[in-house]
Amino acid sequence: MRTYLIDKDKNEHCIDLKKTIVHSSELVEFEFATVVDGHDTNVEHVFVRRLAGQYFVSMDNIHWKKLARQELPKVFLNVNRLYNVYRGYKPSGMDSSADSGLVTQMPGKVVKIAVKVGDQVQKGQTLLILEAMKMENEVKSNADGIVKEIFVGEGQALEQGVAMMTLEEKP
Amino acid sequence: MNTKRILIANRGEIATRIARACRELGYKSVGIWTDFEVNAKHLEFCDEWVFLPGKNNRETYLDIQKLLKLAEDHRIDGIHPGYGFLSENGAFALACEQAGIVFIGPNPKAIKAMGDKATSKEIAKKAGVPVVPGSTQAVPTVDEAIKIAKQIGYPVLLKAVAGGGGRGMRRCDSDQDIVKNFEAVGREALASFANAELLVEKYILNPHHIEVQILADKKGNVFHFFERECSIQRRHQKIIEEAPSPFVGEDEELRKRLCDTAVILARAVGYDSAGTVEFVMGADRNFYFLEMNTRIQVEHPITEEITGVDLIVCMIQGAFGESLGIPSQEWIKRTGHAIECRICAEDPITMLPAPGKVTGFETNFPQGTRFDNCLYKGLQVTPDFDPMVGKLVTKGIIRDVALRKMRAALDGLFIEGLKTNIPLLKEILREEHFISGHYNTNYIAEYKPQEKINTDFDHQRVYQVLATIEVRRFGR
Repeated sequence: MRTYLIDKDKNEHCIDLKKTIVHSSELVEFEFATVVDGHDTNVEHVFVRRLAGQYFVSMDNIHWKKLARQELPKVFLNVNRLYNVYRGYKPSGMDSSADSGLVTQMPGKVVKIAVKVGDQVQKGQTLLILEAMKMENEVKSNADGIVKEIFVGEGQALEQGVAMMTLEEKP
Repeated sequence: MNTKRILIANRGEIATRIARACRELGYKSVGIWTDFEVNAKHLEFCDEWVFLPGKNNRETYLDIQKLLKLAEDHRIDGIHPGYGFLSENGAFALACEQAGIVFIGPNPKAIKAMGDKATSKEIAKKAGVPVVPGSTQAVPTVDEAIKIAKQIGYPVLLKAVAGGGGRGMRRCDSDQDIVKNFEAVGREALASFANAELLVEKYILNPHHIEVQILADKKGNVFHFFERECSIQRRHQKIIEEAPSPFVGEDEELRKRLCDTAVILARAVGYDSAGTVEFVMGADRNFYFLEMNTRIQVEHPITEEITGVDLIVCMIQGAFGESLGIPSQEWIKRTGHAIECRICAEDPITMLPAPGKVTGFETNFPQGTRFDNCLYKGLQVTPDFDPMVGKLVTKGIIRDVALRKMRAALDGLFIEGLKTNIPLLKEILREEHFISGHYNTNYIAEYKPQEKINTDFDHQRVYQVLATIEVRRFGR
């Protein structure tokens, strides 16, 4: 089974389950590898054991640790990156228009829109103010350009990953 | 016997904490659930569950009339507001009083006096408590703000009159900064506290945020429970607190002066509940009164850990006019050192809130760890509430032991599915300046622990997670 981990910045990790060895009813060994340019890298063995109703994992069958029990995770957290988990297939048609600066990074409410369509903006200029968790956050332009379209209005509540406006970048 | 019934007008970990205190006292706790938080885990510890209709906080936890109606319908004797929401709302306390319901907090007059930064400063001044130089009244215009800033000298702090919890305040280094921030801070203040009035204050460089826990009853007894150091902050909000303060350290004379000052202020305002007097202390060990929080605070557990007193239980007893069970100040002793880490759903590097869903939650703590939380697998952290999801507290006979336990506790706390500040906390707990105890409120800006977090992709952990999924195919 192949698993794809893809984050919003299109960082991608492709992981293959290479081998499964059932040692006993309580101990199973798996061999995983990360596929990079068609080659297996980071080949490692993971042992899983059930103890007192919980899963414990080990890389060497000697040192064990408990993992937080999860259903098939839709997301995998790596410190500060959340990867969407796709099992068995690679999603196609993932949006490519999303310019990260103009897409909501978290759910929030539009407090103020500081620009209008046709405005010339500079890199670092505040485009709008988004309130999330009672904090105001300025959304700044990540390039010099002209405001082409604005899709949101003041007072509107937005989910994460919503496009707020588009900019036409100056060459 | 008529069992007292307590309505908990709050949610999350603090609602749980209050419900446990009620259980200890033999009171019935009544918890609230709302449409937008159906899986309110805090109800787990409440004796009764009631529904409060409304689409958002304003229509539920902040709606005084609805809460009073609820209290009446359910024969409530007392309301505990927790922290945030209506905890420091004098009008609510007054409305409770008029409705014949005990507000578990200070009297409305004290809330009103201390809730207004300008008034509280005046009272402090009169009582001989040192205050930070700045405007004593709300500053109506940008021009006025600039005028005062020029008088006291930059940098200055622009902050909400009704502010608290780090919301509605910003540092300004120039006239332009004031112009730029005046409107935004006012708006933030209006959104958070329904009051857009602002103050201008001298910004103390390299300050320590040190606060004193107060507990008073309706008979005129005022006790202090020593200080807490709350200087590890991001966005002016605390993330790590410890008691006692490593900066005050062995200076018992300073400690006594600080704590006695807090008691003087509490007496001056006629305080009669649990509260906190916040001070800013400069590198020269001079301290100034900042504000008084007229509620139980998020970080109260570390004080409980070093004094062995249950502050919430005392607060409830005091509100009903019962004895706090404390014979005199001398009976309150502190032993050891306690530390608290706030676990927040936020990006560990940008430190911005990162709502999401908890897909896995596991703990494997060292002996004696306290974790006040509202976490469960499936919890949806929404932008409606503060991103804090739990408070991890450890204690040791000396600071080093408390830190060691905290490192182990953080290593044994697993939250999956959404970003948390756990990697940042781990980094700080291993950073030399923090370990040495030499830090002030500029700590994060100065040492940037977030930049030292290892963000390499952890292949082993992915494999381990996938392995526990794969293994289920074998019916295990």
